[in-house]
Amino acid sequence: MTGTDTTPSEDVRRDPAAEPGAAEGSLFDPEIARNPQPVYKAMRDLAPVVDLGERSPTGGVALGKHEDVVAGLRAPDVFSSGFDAVRIGQVRPLIPLQIDPPDHVAYRKVLDPLFSPRRVAALEPRVRELARHLVEAVADDGACNFNAAFAEPYPSTVFLELLGLPVSRATEFIAFKDGIVRPPARTPEEREEMVIETGRQIYAVLEEVVDARTRAPKDDFISAFLTSEVDGHRLTRDDVIDICYLFFLAGLDTVTASLDCMLAFLAEHPHHRRQIVDDPGLIPNAVEEMLRWETPVPGVMRLTTQDTEMSGCPIAAGSHVVMLLASANTDERAWDRADEVDFTREVVKHLAFGGGVHRCLGSHLARLELRVALEEWHARIPEYGLAPGTELEYSPGLRQIEHLPLVW
Amino acid sequence: MRITLDRTRCTGHGRCYAMAPAVFDADDDGYGVIRDGGELAPGDEQEARRGAANCPEDAISLEE
Repeated sequence: MTGTDTTPSEDVRRDPAAEPGAAEGSLFDPEIARNPQPVYKAMRDLAPVVDLGERSPTGGVALGKHEDVVAGLRAPDVFSSGFDAVRIGQVRPLIPLQIDPPDHVAYRKVLDPLFSPRRVAALEPRVRELARHLVEAVADDGACNFNAAFAEPYPSTVFLELLGLPVSRATEFIAFKDGIVRPPARTPEEREEMVIETGRQIYAVLEEVVDARTRAPKDDFISAFLTSEVDGHRLTRDDVIDICYLFFLAGLDTVTASLDCMLAFLAEHPHHRRQIVDDPGLIPNAVEEMLRWETPVPGVMRLTTQDTEMSGCPIAAGSHVVMLLASANTDERAWDRADEVDFTREVVKHLAFGGGVHRCLGSHLARLELRVALEEWHARIPEYGLAPGTELEYSPGLRQIEHLPLVW
Repeated sequence: MRITLDRTRCTGHGRCYAMAPAVFDADDDGYGVIRDGGELAPGDEQEARRGAANCPEDAISLEE
């Protein structure tokens, strides 16, 4: 058994980032991804709107107070999620993320039913079979790198099967996704080049598959998109590719990061782990509370369409704004016992899936995958911890833990 | 007690029908709807409050 429960609030005093000004520009440091909550608290105490400065890959400003993040997410006319809000190798706006109202509504009308709780519930038997198979493959080994053994293959397989991309090419697709989300670049220029080149490769794969399904439809999402109508018009080839490009990045990374964060938390907090082992009925609420506390997707990007202000601080038109979901989710102004992870919380109205009109389309599928994963893992491997001497490294941006060695 | 759900604010998080399934249901798109038109049975009031409190968009209101 390794790991002990820690009191996060103690870390605030020790953290050098708690010094005024220290948070500026350091939002994407690996140390913050490892232990983000005290840094966000320091940022909230520093100012409601924090200038991220030149060193940040995004530039612009960050909002950290719950009320400001909520207000921004609910005002897409001022805080646009359009094409220029974030550049991830796309040549056209990603659908539906980069389409703001009023056009956004029609696309969501087509996509929402495919990802509704009822539709995703039908996937549970297959999702469970997959989880069980992956857990069984390592259960007798007494150790594994959780990221490689489970967190990456599990959601990738679910997603590729659903969309209709060949699962046999999963490794190649995961490399593409990593080339966009975390390119191994040394300079911003190199980063931009790598992202654009990877984007080209993703488009090439999607064009190939979309054209194949146009000729010969199958029972998959891509085929379904090709016969969907928006306002009486069929989705075009470009529409379907622009939907798939977004899903490619969202579907291959976010649940992996969430599972890494959750298993690392549970490995380091045996009391919480025993709670869900003793009462698996707590798992849905534990998922919500860990989504709140860990917020595996810490922020979403917006671009201001006009001069505006938040909590009295001016933000110029054309500013990139990071909506810090992770900070909002641990803001002591909005939460009772914000620093305490409590799986029995009655109210968990977190923003881990964003908010407003761009609320994560895949949230119901993600919840299903996370619940089933925790159920199957803990039914088979209830006692585990981090391998002794492990120093976890969380990737900045989306919080994956590439090397997550568990022992049991 | 009467309960209302503002459809213009709801963005389909699904927290209401997950936390208070006796009071809320999902429509075909996964957005929240109130069962039985909004008049609550006395025994459902606590559950209705829990559903409303968990809405990230503050779309649900209760009138005593």
